[in-house]
Amino acid sequence: MSSEFDSIEVRPARRRFIQGAAALAVTLIAPGILLYRTGAASSGDSSGPRWGLLIDTNALSEADVDACVQACQREHGWSHNDDSPTDAQWIRKVHLSDERSGAQKVLPMMCQHCADPPCVYVCPTGASFKRADGIVLVNKHTCIGCRYCMMACPYKARSFIHEVLRDQLPVAPRGKGTVESCTLCVHRIDRDGADAVPACAEAVNRGASKAILFGDLNDHESEISQRLQRLGATRLRADLGVDPGVRYQGL
Amino acid sequence: MRLLLPGLVLGWLALAPGIAAEPESSGLGAVVIPQPNKPANASSCVEPVDIMRREHMNFLLHQRDETVLDGERDSKYSLVGCMDCHNPADGAESAIRYPDPEHFCAGCHLYASVNIDCFECHADRGLVQSQQSRLTPTLDTGLLSLQTFHRQLEQAHVE
Repeated sequence: MSSEFDSIEVRPARRRFIQGAAALAVTLIAPGILLYRTGAASSGDSSGPRWGLLIDTNALSEADVDACVQACQREHGWSHNDDSPTDAQWIRKVHLSDERSGAQKVLPMMCQHCADPPCVYVCPTGASFKRADGIVLVNKHTCIGCRYCMMACPYKARSFIHEVLRDQLPVAPRGKGTVESCTLCVHRIDRDGADAVPACAEAVNRGASKAILFGDLNDHESEISQRLQRLGATRLRADLGVDPGVRYQGL
Repeated sequence: MRLLLPGLVLGWLALAPGIAAEPESSGLGAVVIPQPNKPANASSCVEPVDIMRREHMNFLLHQRDETVLDGERDSKYSLVGCMDCHNPADGAESAIRYPDPEHFCAGCHLYASVNIDCFECHADRGLVQSQQSRLTPTLDTGLLSLQTFHRQLEQAHVE
């Protein structure tokens, strides 16, 4: 598991300089004709928010991670029976141990809301998609249940619904024959914006200490960006280059 | 061929009064027109009733993409909003289920022979926030569970 620090992210002043230089270069080459806009401006990534989570594994006990899982189950109405290989699992408890030091870690694993999500690239119907604010979702109206995305996901974050369900919750429509995963509590984010607190974070955060911190990774003034700049964090399987929006501290 | 259409119209005009005059209580052929209950706590719907009757499916179809793709959840054409008014429920037990003709949507859909799959995923009743945590979706007990099926297969294999 490799580690990568976020403090090396491009500073706004530097980015503005590079964009300005690129624009100048385009003007010099073809005056009056703008061939293309600079990458940062056209990707949409720098203009709006990109929601993410920062999970401090040092502040999470095993009971805390259990509380995360249960909070997610209550919020979205899924359940997982350990005997069943087919039950849904939006968020799971992962044990890590270091063979040399004997250090034990337990962490919550959910959809990592990648910037370059493999699940989106393999989806044949466009049902698996990334919102403008970086949240990776399944549009169940177009999902045909082929499960390519489940194969593509390096984090094993998605589940398939095998059976007819009833008593679904209004905030979380779920039905047989479609794939589902963590939505980053998108219904709360659409309601509260940057002040939103996902259910898993709500279950473990006590007062000012935030073991799971939700925020805007694109906003350099946000608490999550400040903490990332100060302390750094690990992207799980950073070698794959998918740039997950969920970062872990203390690994 | 040129006379076919006027003929049909005349034929219909001749028969229509007979159809319209047929009493509902005559047994065979009587059709009960659905009269869906109006919500007690709201004075009007999001659009006039005649527009809602004709266009509600288009409103919902348009709105669902705005919600899923763009996160627009304040639209007045929200399915959750429909259920909050038209089929509020105190809990899972007291809820009226979709295929039940008493359900606000089902009455007309059964009458018009329309099959929808909205409620295979979506909640078919409105719930206030505080009641959500008490409910968890359950497997439809009317069907053989996949786990049971697997166990039966395994047992059959052993025997």
